[in-house]
Amino acid sequence: MKPSKAVVILKDNLWSNNPIFIQILGICSTLAVTNNLSNTLVMTVGVALTTAFSSMTLSALKGLIPRKVRMIVQVVVISFYVILIDILLRAYLPEASRQLGPYVGLIITNCIIMGRAEAFAQANPPFLSFWDGLTSGLGYMAVLMAIAVVRELLGFGTLFGLRVMPAGFVPWTIMIMAPSAFFLVAMVMWWAKSMQAGRQAAGKEAKK
Amino acid sequence: MKKDSMLYVVLFTFVVCAVFTLVLAIANEGTKDLVAANAEFATQSAVLGALGVPFDGKADAAARFAGAVSPGPDGPRRSWTARVDGADYVAVEQAGPGLWGTITVILAATPDGERVRGVRVVSQNETPGLGGRVAEPWFIGQYEGERSPGGRVGMRAGAESSGAADPDKENGRVDGVSGATRTSQSFAAIVDAALARVKEIGGER
Repeated sequence: MKPSKAVVILKDNLWSNNPIFIQILGICSTLAVTNNLSNTLVMTVGVALTTAFSSMTLSALKGLIPRKVRMIVQVVVISFYVILIDILLRAYLPEASRQLGPYVGLIITNCIIMGRAEAFAQANPPFLSFWDGLTSGLGYMAVLMAIAVVRELLGFGTLFGLRVMPAGFVPWTIMIMAPSAFFLVAMVMWWAKSMQAGRQAAGKEAKK
Repeated sequence: MKKDSMLYVVLFTFVVCAVFTLVLAIANEGTKDLVAANAEFATQSAVLGALGVPFDGKADAAARFAGAVSPGPDGPRRSWTARVDGADYVAVEQAGPGLWGTITVILAATPDGERVRGVRVVSQNETPGLGGRVAEPWFIGQYEGERSPGGRVGMRAGAESSGAADPDKENGRVDGVSGATRTSQSFAAIVDAALARVKEIGGER
């Protein structure tokens, strides 16, 4: 049975075309927020929702948008959702909003959102675009959360702020700072690429 | 109307911007009171924390704040006067440069500025895990009840620091965060500036 389009999109965005380790998009936020699991969670949920809703809105509007102002309209729609999230966070999750500080506003600069709007929402119906945006966000979230687990565990000795390492554990300060995210992202890419390369080779062998 | 005509482009852009901005304005208006209440609670809990008044939740904090604290004289930054356990205190909000960005604290002390009651960090942007540790209870707790002769609290930063909290409340000194010498020094400067303002406000009364 041929898998449905939605399943193909899901698999693409989570694994074979993951925004972080294949498309290498949204790296700046990976460096900035991943030293703390709770911040990472709020930020990535924000990105996933923004990508999903802006893709859906832009897909619904695509017949009306003049080519000349396409980018401008995309930016307006994306910033609309980002500001909305910022307002909601400030009202209902003041603590998270304070900790994330300027990063919420910076969701707008996340290339994944613009990338999906341009690459997918331009040519697909609204609901499929919503799904594509959401799963792209989930692919981004999966990688960031994995990195955040390592960074928070080794950098602070905690997970979600709860102490898990024994009392004598000396935190690795480097894990809290941006360079460690570079190392970890590179390792994730290395691992994913070699997995995918291994599978492709195995697939070719099987065909012979 | 042709989709690429000037009129359509201008009209479309105008309508899109107007609609989205309208929704944002409504959302902002709708949550305004909640955001203001959150900000007020943040301030109240910091002031109460600096004064060493325990509280339980938003409503309790508001009640205790209203009971013990009154706003201080007008100045460039906020200040409060308070009566806790039969003693007078002055609390001030003070900001100063840290290593990366502005550190804002609320400090409470006796009106003569000779003994700190407590300090709370309202906002800081220091390196997480290093300078950011100035907001942690072990560091901030050093100031609780610390003597501040002449309105100053010394800071043992860098090589002088033991890297742990200084338990002596009478020596007028605290220990800095190891690995965050500049942040510790900046923090000490902010505390001294806050104490100077406490003295000024306390002296007027």
